[in-house]
Amino acid sequence: MSEFNSTNFEGQQQEGFEYGSFNDTNGFFNNQTYSSNSTYNNTNNGTFTADEETVKIVPTSFYTPFIYGAVLLIALFFFSKYYKQQRIKQLSQLRSIFDEHDARDLYFEIKEMKESEEVKVHDKVLKAALLNRGAENIRRSFKLKELAPQVELLYKNGSIGEDYWKSFQTEIKVTEAEVKECIIEAENLQPGWPQLFLQLCQEICFNQALQRRYNSILERKNTCIKEWDLDIDGDGHMVTKKDEKK
Amino acid sequence: MALNYDYDDTSETWPFFLLTVVLMILIPLTLWQLVWIFRGSDNEKDKSIQENEDIMEPLNDTYTLASIKKFRHKFLKERSNKIFNKWNLIIIASWCLVVFLIQRINANDAIKESTAGLFDPYELLGISASASDKDIKSAYRKLSLKFHPDKLSKDLTENERTVLEETYVQITKAYESLTDELVRENYLKYGHPDGPQSVSHGIALPSFLVDTTSSPLLVAIYVLSFVLVLPWIVSKWWTKTQAYTKKGVHTLTASYFVDRLVNYKPSEVITIDLIIKWLSNAHEFKEFYPELTAEDFERLLQDHLHRRDSGEQNEIKYRIVAKCHTILYGLLDVTCAFRNTDATNMTLNTFKCIVQAVSSVNDAEIYQLPNVDRATFQNGSVDEIHTLGKLFTYENDKIGKILGIKDSKKLEETLQVASNIPVLKLLKAEFVVPGEDRVTPLSVSHISIKVLIRSAKHKLIPVDKFPSERFEESQDFDDLKDPFAKQEQQPLLPYSFAPFFPTKRRNAWCCMVVLQKDSKIIQNPLVVQKLSLSNLKNEFGKLDVKDFDKDFNPEDWEIGTIKIPLGQQAPAENGHYYFRVVIKSTDYFGSDLDLTMDMNVCDPPKVEENETSYSDDEDDLEDDEDLEDDEYDSDFTDIDTDTEVEEDAVDEK
Amino acid sequence: MSILYNENSKMISVAQPDEATEIFAINVAQINKLSKSIIAESNPNFTPKPNDNTTAMIQKMFQTGITKMKEQKLNDALKSISLAIEMATRNRSPYEAFALQLQELQFMLKHKIDLELVLGKPMDALQDLEMLMGTGLATPDVFIRLTDALLKLGQFNEATAVCERGLSLSPNETKLKALILQCNRLLAEYNGDI
Repeated sequence: MSEFNSTNFEGQQQEGFEYGSFNDTNGFFNNQTYSSNSTYNNTNNGTFTADEETVKIVPTSFYTPFIYGAVLLIALFFFSKYYKQQRIKQLSQLRSIFDEHDARDLYFEIKEMKESEEVKVHDKVLKAALLNRGAENIRRSFKLKELAPQVELLYKNGSIGEDYWKSFQTEIKVTEAEVKECIIEAENLQPGWPQLFLQLCQEICFNQALQRRYNSILERKNTCIKEWDLDIDGDGHMVTKKDEKK
Repeated sequence: MALNYDYDDTSETWPFFLLTVVLMILIPLTLWQLVWIFRGSDNEKDKSIQENEDIMEPLNDTYTLASIKKFRHKFLKERSNKIFNKWNLIIIASWCLVVFLIQRINANDAIKESTAGLFDPYELLGISASASDKDIKSAYRKLSLKFHPDKLSKDLTENERTVLEETYVQITKAYESLTDELVRENYLKYGHPDGPQSVSHGIALPSFLVDTTSSPLLVAIYVLSFVLVLPWIVSKWWTKTQAYTKKGVHTLTASYFVDRLVNYKPSEVITIDLIIKWLSNAHEFKEFYPELTAEDFERLLQDHLHRRDSGEQNEIKYRIVAKCHTILYGLLDVTCAFRNTDATNMTLNTFKCIVQAVSSVNDAEIYQLPNVDRATFQNGSVDEIHTLGKLFTYENDKIGKILGIKDSKKLEETLQVASNIPVLKLLKAEFVVPGEDRVTPLSVSHISIKVLIRSAKHKLIPVDKFPSERFEESQDFDDLKDPFAKQEQQPLLPYSFAPFFPTKRRNAWCCMVVLQKDSKIIQNPLVVQKLSLSNLKNEFGKLDVKDFDKDFNPEDWEIGTIKIPLGQQAPAENGHYYFRVVIKSTDYFGSDLDLTMDMNVCDPPKVEENETSYSDDEDDLEDDEDLEDDEYDSDFTDIDTDTEVEEDAVDEK
Repeated sequence: MSILYNENSKMISVAQPDEATEIFAINVAQINKLSKSIIAESNPNFTPKPNDNTTAMIQKMFQTGITKMKEQKLNDALKSISLAIEMATRNRSPYEAFALQLQELQFMLKHKIDLELVLGKPMDALQDLEMLMGTGLATPDVFIRLTDALLKLGQFNEATAVCERGLSLSPNETKLKALILQCNRLLAEYNGDI
């Protein structure tokens, strides 16, 4: 933005000054180097000599932009600090994409019970709890692997928010850590066990899934009957409208 | 580069600054609003009236509850009034501001002065930039005769005299700048014949902020508004856009749906009640009514499905039910991305249930009609009647008895609704690769489905009664260029008969494509809202048609086209690939279509290859065997997640 | 959520059963089942090898069912086979080889389903079939029976969809071809188009 300024400078002398500084700036731009010394000093001197004539306005008008800049920088600094804090808080508050990790919680509860020695917990019960926890972790890592492309698609399509995407990424890391922790615990319980432990966990994971599915048959059946509004007697036979009429 | 800073003492910069900012926002906003006002109304009216008559709309109005009408009046008024709304007011106010600013700029001497300082020799001499030396000279001569100080009339005041003298100086300078070498160079280099002019860099602060004694305070306010308020507004806006998904669902709601599908238990069968439960956890409802819980919303939604009065909470009920439209589309998006066919189907069933206010899909085809007496219907009929089509196999009087409708006018209206619910009859479905007569490996194809839209009262018309040319895909240039353009030219569907839904709505068909091998959805659903319903008017009642061939004229019947683009290429290997296409209406029961399609992928006919069907079959058999002895790995993912079937087996091929 | 431990039975239980979620209860049951198996195991380095005793027991019960089926005592046969399945799911240790357990279950379920269909219990058959499908078993047999069960339950739309899928996976299966005709006819009647 360039314009003619008639308030501060008058006469040929000032024009000469402006002319000089104009050239300076040109040089500065042409060289593409920051030779601030000359430019800056020039300006300073020039301005202050001119000040003698218009003392009233210049001091404030010179410093205010710097104050302006400083306030801006400070504000940005605090804002970024606050923002970072909020972010960390948010990240720590991200909930797991899975429901409660009951298998892990139960393991720790049994372990605590055993260590407190109020009740005498059988060694193998703790082992059983650890196997259950290991199996659950394997289920989760399989599930995560299977979900990854779908969640990615949802994220790319903008169908889920940033937060869910982040918790999904976190979940992958958490589950990896869980698996490792289980292996360490297995080693503590029975040195040399981890290799076999992992193999067992896998079998248990699938068998448990099969079992859960099998156990749900009755409940599914009842839901299905309700949903289709069917009439089925205790023996499993259908009762139709026509039968009722008879 | 700034050498000195000046505040805008004479107010010559900041009005420009403000004007630019305001116009930058205002112009696009105004255009948008204008387009919305004019285009919006044209589109809706013209196209729907063009072909699809709104038969259902008056009926819908008749059966809409007074409380719903009141609700519509209260909540949907703003949208209907296009001229007097909040946005238009803002726009008008902003234009007033612009006018004010322009006036201010015009009235400002300082600005005029600085523009006057801009030196244009051609303008001063009153000639064009391409003028020759001769022209320049003659123009200068004429002007100097007029403005020369010696030639000025003596009656002029002192003031006028100075002005005219100054003009003469300018004219002389202009002439010199065009003729004198040195002056000309100055002009070209610095824009002024005297050489470089003083340059200053101003900050666009109005003078009143700097001049007065309270300036630090005002500057602080100015700074605050740019450092704090502006970022705050921007961040608010940003989080707001971040808070909603592309489908317009709150991200918390979307995350909740994803959560439910991730943690979905094998013992749970996805039912309408379950989906209602999911819906009632939507964050949108919580935002509307923070004091209510998910249980309250679930109760209200169930009230709606069972057509129960919720007393004082009726308005809340209507508001959340109306919102369900968007939320259900959001859920559909998630279930499709999870490729879950069951959940998707059930979501759309729930959609219908909510639109028609019925609690389950059983006999819902009947219950979506008005005036039906449920007790009479359930106990009365001896034969099994569950569908509209079956209902129309009876005489009208008998239908009245079956449905428990005694009033003949009411019965007539009920029958009118029943016969105007569109039923889709499949005529032909094929995979089309534009410009090819077959599906070649790795080609991009789309599904083209020809349907007969008929009424449940119509007698069934076998496909072979239509001449096969009518199903042919046209191969002219426009169609090859954009195969989907034709579909868009079909008329918009009319308003639905949904008197219990809080807002007026149009039907839509969601088209899902499922891979038969693993029974999973392969792409996002296509939503079709353009189809001609003109066939519904035809007289072709089941009981009226005595001599089929005499009464049937294929020209009377319009054939609808549904084209579904496939997001994936055809497989690289030759062979048969089977897809299931599910077309489900969002509004009506009995309006769906479910078909299986065979994609026969084969090489383009270069050399005659004898591909007997026998070898194909063998391939298929092998495939099946692969499926049977599933490997270990795929097995556990299957049971484990209880939604997965043979995915791995497919992937490996 | 707290749990209790019984020193005699070596089992854990939920302290407040009313407050426990379904998943929590399932986890408790899974741990108990594991404890029981591990305690019975003397070798600390037990492997996924199947327990021969259990196998023999299940086999015997299953054979009883087959014999009864041949004697046309269908109800008794169904009872025995159901019992054999129950034994397999209850007595097998969770860490015994999954591949074997799955195969065993699938084999016995198939027989159970046939009996249920013959005895006119389509809903039970449907549930068992869905379970079979869930384990990745998608053979023409399963589709034929699934279509049959659904038709018997009056779910014509679902039956047609299942039958079409069966045909997509094995286009030359004559039984499925016959069934699809039946489905279409029943569906047309259901929709009043005949």
